[in-house]
Amino acid sequence: MKEPTVLPTYQAKDFKSDLKPIWCPGCGDFGVVQAIYRALAAIGRAPHDIAFVSGIGCSSRIPGYTTAYGFNSVHGRALPIAQGIKLANPDLLVLVAGGDGDGFSIGGGHVPHAIRRNLDLTYIVMDNQIYGLTKGQLSPTSPKGLHTVTSGLGSLEEPVNPLLYTLAYGAGFVAQGTPADMAGLAEIIEEAIRFPGFAFVNVQSPCVTFGEDDQQVKAHRAAMKPLKSIGHDQTSRIAAMDLAQQYGQSLHTGVFYRNPAPAPTYDAQVRERQQAMAEKAVPRERILDMFVQK
Amino acid sequence: MEKTRKIDFKTLGLRDALDLAMLIEEEAMDRYGEFADSMELHHTPAAAKFFRFMKGIEQLHEAKLRGRREELYPNVPRVVTREMIYDIEAPETHEPRVHMTARDALKISLGAEVKAFEFFDAALKQVKDPGVGGLFEELRNEELEHQELVKKMIAKLPPDDAGDIADYEDPPVMQ
Repeated sequence: MKEPTVLPTYQAKDFKSDLKPIWCPGCGDFGVVQAIYRALAAIGRAPHDIAFVSGIGCSSRIPGYTTAYGFNSVHGRALPIAQGIKLANPDLLVLVAGGDGDGFSIGGGHVPHAIRRNLDLTYIVMDNQIYGLTKGQLSPTSPKGLHTVTSGLGSLEEPVNPLLYTLAYGAGFVAQGTPADMAGLAEIIEEAIRFPGFAFVNVQSPCVTFGEDDQQVKAHRAAMKPLKSIGHDQTSRIAAMDLAQQYGQSLHTGVFYRNPAPAPTYDAQVRERQQAMAEKAVPRERILDMFVQK
Repeated sequence: MEKTRKIDFKTLGLRDALDLAMLIEEEAMDRYGEFADSMELHHTPAAAKFFRFMKGIEQLHEAKLRGRREELYPNVPRVVTREMIYDIEAPETHEPRVHMTARDALKISLGAEVKAFEFFDAALKQVKDPGVGGLFEELRNEELEHQELVKKMIAKLPPDDAGDIADYEDPPVMQ
């Protein structure tokens, strides 16, 4: 075997905290967190160099199960908080996580703005098409016709399409994975973290308690279509949008879109502007002089 | 679905193969431990007890391999890592269920032993090094023995409760 000359600095287990996950046994999120540990090990940043922000919901517990700095914040507000953290400390690697309800209903209004600002964040949504923590209500990505406690006769609403949504607002990196393919998911998350700018990963993470049988991990394994196997051009936003329209019908996994010429990030531009202004800035000891008439 | 990353079985040497085998046992040991924790949190004691037992078994296998490795290659650092393997002997994260019976838990374990057998069987077809071939053959055969042991354990179990697991309550868990 070809031996690596440099051993990895961190291993997946270095990112696993002592807190025991309380998710329902069999929850898809158990697989997602394993994939995150592996992706972080591949990135090689120290746990104290990483901030992990989430909203509210089952999947939003995820920061607590890592050794990174974690902030299990307010429902739907993970993205604004993460943007603040990244601007205040640009050297941190900032990850954001939550569910489909947190991201596309309660926090839906924040997603386009995070995308257009293009801060260097990785947003991982665990899309289970249901509000699981509150015991099975219709969520923004629930399929039309779904019977839930709030749609006893079947939902009349069309679901939000997270892939099309983020592509349409101009996200530079959009991908989808499933815990049915742990190696593939870890690779996608690693690629998303390495992308310089806002990166979105939709993870089809089944709810074992309130989810549909045909949406569980075994069903995913049978249904998934890796984009690598169909020769998808991940540099074409149009091709990505075309495929993204099959959300809910086909389970495509892999990178839908990666901007081949990523735009400068907001945080980088802020730093540039701060540096430019610093050159002209009045020294600290003379600031008061600006307000005092002599 | 890929089970390994960055491992070329054609060029795999005995030291790396032993390390890989230890990591496979370690992965299974950790997963059984996580399952046991989860079952304890979710009021499923029979399955928790079995998964805890399996954690101990995997720990013994790992220790046995470690002893052999240390004897053959003392103080030589390991170059293969856990990130190179995915659920080879470890049961998959989505398999447990709340209120599962001991029988259900044993069936998960049986599935994991079958999976491990298939892995070593497939790897053997690529391996060139005779030492690695011998090790993998031994491990593959052990997986068969383990399958038989689990089957015997299943046969000894009393019949399951006729109730549906959906009828039992899983009270909220605090954290």
